[in-house]
Amino acid sequence: MVTKTKTKTVQNVNQAACQELKKAIGAEKVRDDEITLVTHGRINHGFDPSMPFHMPSMVVFPETREDVVETLKIANKYKISVNPVGIAQMAIPTAEGDIILDQRHRDKIIEINTDSGYAVLEPGVSHDKLTSTLRGTGFKCEVGTMTGSATVLAGGLTGGSKSFSNRHLSSILDLEVVLPDVTIFNTGSSMFPGVGPHVRARPYADLAGLFTGSNGTLGVITRFAVRLHPVNEVSRVHVAGFSNFSDAVDYVKDLVNHNIPEHCIIWNWHMYHTWPLDSEGMKTVMPEILKMDIRKPPEGTPYSMVTSFLSGYEEQVEFYEKMCVKIALKCHGRAYPREEVEKRWPQTMAGLKQQYEDYSYREGTHWARGRWSGFVVFAEPKDIKEVEKLAVKEFAELGPRARPINNYAHPFDYGRTFLFRYAGFPETDDVETRMKIGKKTMELCALALKKYRAVPIRGMGESEGEKAYLDVLGRIKKALDPNNILNRAAGAGLYKGGR
Amino acid sequence: MKLAATLEDVKAASSTCLRCSWCAYGPWPENLPLCPIYSRFPSFTFSGGGFLFLALALLEGKIEFSQSIADFAFSCSSCNACDTKCNVIHSHKSHVYILDAIRVMRREAVKRGFIPDGVARKIYDEVKKTGDYGRANGFKLPDKIRSDNANTVFFTECAHSKSRKGIAEATINLLEKIGSPVGQFAEKGCCGSTLYDFGFWDELEPLVKANWAKMKPMKGKKFVFFDPHCQEFIVKRYPEILPDFSPIKNQHFSQLLADAFKGGRLKSKNSGKIKVSYHDPCYLGRGLGIFDAPREVVGALKGVELVEMVRNRENSFCCGARTLGDYVPNLSEDTARERIKEFEVTGADLLITACPYCKDQFQRVMPAKDKTRVKDMTELVDERT
Repeated sequence: MVTKTKTKTVQNVNQAACQELKKAIGAEKVRDDEITLVTHGRINHGFDPSMPFHMPSMVVFPETREDVVETLKIANKYKISVNPVGIAQMAIPTAEGDIILDQRHRDKIIEINTDSGYAVLEPGVSHDKLTSTLRGTGFKCEVGTMTGSATVLAGGLTGGSKSFSNRHLSSILDLEVVLPDVTIFNTGSSMFPGVGPHVRARPYADLAGLFTGSNGTLGVITRFAVRLHPVNEVSRVHVAGFSNFSDAVDYVKDLVNHNIPEHCIIWNWHMYHTWPLDSEGMKTVMPEILKMDIRKPPEGTPYSMVTSFLSGYEEQVEFYEKMCVKIALKCHGRAYPREEVEKRWPQTMAGLKQQYEDYSYREGTHWARGRWSGFVVFAEPKDIKEVEKLAVKEFAELGPRARPINNYAHPFDYGRTFLFRYAGFPETDDVETRMKIGKKTMELCALALKKYRAVPIRGMGESEGEKAYLDVLGRIKKALDPNNILNRAAGAGLYKGGR
Repeated sequence: MKLAATLEDVKAASSTCLRCSWCAYGPWPENLPLCPIYSRFPSFTFSGGGFLFLALALLEGKIEFSQSIADFAFSCSSCNACDTKCNVIHSHKSHVYILDAIRVMRREAVKRGFIPDGVARKIYDEVKKTGDYGRANGFKLPDKIRSDNANTVFFTECAHSKSRKGIAEATINLLEKIGSPVGQFAEKGCCGSTLYDFGFWDELEPLVKANWAKMKPMKGKKFVFFDPHCQEFIVKRYPEILPDFSPIKNQHFSQLLADAFKGGRLKSKNSGKIKVSYHDPCYLGRGLGIFDAPREVVGALKGVELVEMVRNRENSFCCGARTLGDYVPNLSEDTARERIKEFEVTGADLLITACPYCKDQFQRVMPAKDKTRVKDMTELVDERT
């Protein structure tokens, strides 16, 4: 009975907040109908079989920054958690009764600056919208999509999804943030009147870094600037193959250290056979792939393939191609002539051409006969080699139900660190295998961290060092968000002693 | 393959959704919304993915069937854009798509007595009363071209749309001009497509069986349709419903006209210059993959210039005719108005289509003075040959 009374009180509070918010920003921007709420809830589904059900209390679609401010004011007054999301809401870490703040209606491209090379955007701008707008400007965006129409902001905040550059870890230059107490400020050079966002952190500490990757737990980003890069005279993909991952890493390191490619990816052979096949292609290729052992590619098929994006003047790119051939040989691999790649892996080449030569990276067909389950870590070059060996062995032992198993790796920050993604694609309804992979992933993350100094992309909160860091972050969270209203579910580990 | 008939049947496919919203948008570089309900109010709920998550929530008992669920499920225009755009659901082993999940939700809502007011209720009442949704359309081939031995059979579907009469007259005229004998197939009541789309499935199977029993002896012949809804349903769904179904040769009337022009059996007259824009009907285009034939027909007409709307072919935008729920008020009309605005931008004189429902819908929302600017392709061809 106590629980019921409590639930009723919470509902009343939420209803009062909802009415007040509708009055403040307009009823059409606040939806609290049951269908909207349940479809924005956490539902046990293929993406994550262990999701407990939670339902928000309202979904807000702000059209202006002031709408965001009003939402936070009312959330503070009623102490309701606010969960800011963009177009692609892959997993909504909703706490029961959250306000979901969906900024997809705020989708203006405010400025494209082709002198300094940045774009100023509202959070709802999709990747497609930005890349379409950039056509003909001579500039491109380095942010990848993650999922189809994901916001550029989401892609920019997740360092792992960059598609066009090895050269920075973050593509974010400037953020406009609304804090829970509705203070509005800019993290970059646009804090100065009339100045554009061309410098990320001068003359003060880099606060953009505080808000990127914070999952909306510290502030709501209402405008942002991302890096743009010029489209050079020639843009070409180069492909080299290696019999093992280690040689491929050495090759990439050498290329990047000589500033040759704009971007590189190391693909395992499963991955380059299946990306980006259309659904018909998937149906024919995938069953064959499923029969094979990940550790043993078919005769004549390189275990790892490195695709490098080369750009510059024609003479420069020709020189780069020669360098790629030379360095591939040095690293015990071989460069593949374009014609051979087009013949042997036509869909891969078509995808790469689209991504690198047409600057229009859109998602191809996913391997949807199953669900991505896997792990992602950052590690130094020599360590990433060991991580790959470990992951291949452990995932292969999970058995055929975990297949197909794909992995790929990118260098970042001029090869100082490599991102490594590993995934199995069990059947959607094979909850047992997915749970098994989930467990294995946690074990592998812990092992990779302990043995090979690999940094997981999601915090584990176990080591003393990590605990100390989280303590500092928690203190910042408490100072900025005393009522703990921002993304309470994601910020749970940060906030102790609050409501 | 079995028809997806229960929420359990669509569960695994629904679980593939990543909430990426890809299902709502057209391709790069235009990146325009294709989903009518999403276009009206962009949100995850109002997208194909939203419907999938709703199916999961219903399955898990997180929400109960209600009038609102029915109104919501019937608000989808069944335009199939989401299934064309979704990258993940296609490879799923069950071959269940977003529209299947929506139809199952309609079915389950209807079973529980939740039916939207208005057109859906009228159809339901009629189906309950008569066990059918058929209408005799009075289409009768003239004796000079009618031959029961002909290898081509005209599928003369029932007459629900106002446009049907004009289209039927133009069709008969054109068949006379082409001169090849054709047979006629009058379905027994409704082919089932309307009942299937709107969840009135209790009466579906007897109708489908009765139609197939009549069609079966003619299955070696080529069936020609002018309603893409009937054609798509028979070609794609009959195999899922009828264990003894075997594929039939089929053609849309636009394809027959295109062939007639190519073969010199139909000739264009010298008429005045005119610009037309062609609206791809969802079931003819995305449903059956017929995009070229209507354009070839327009191209064969002297003095007619085709100007494309921004959203065309598989990325066409629906007319909204099959939106029968009012979860979003005026959605059906607003969808048609949005399409008409896009047509107006082209500067074309005429908006032509190849589906009676689309023609009805556009004429319904066009200002009175402009209603004659909407035509079925058959009528345009009849006028200019």
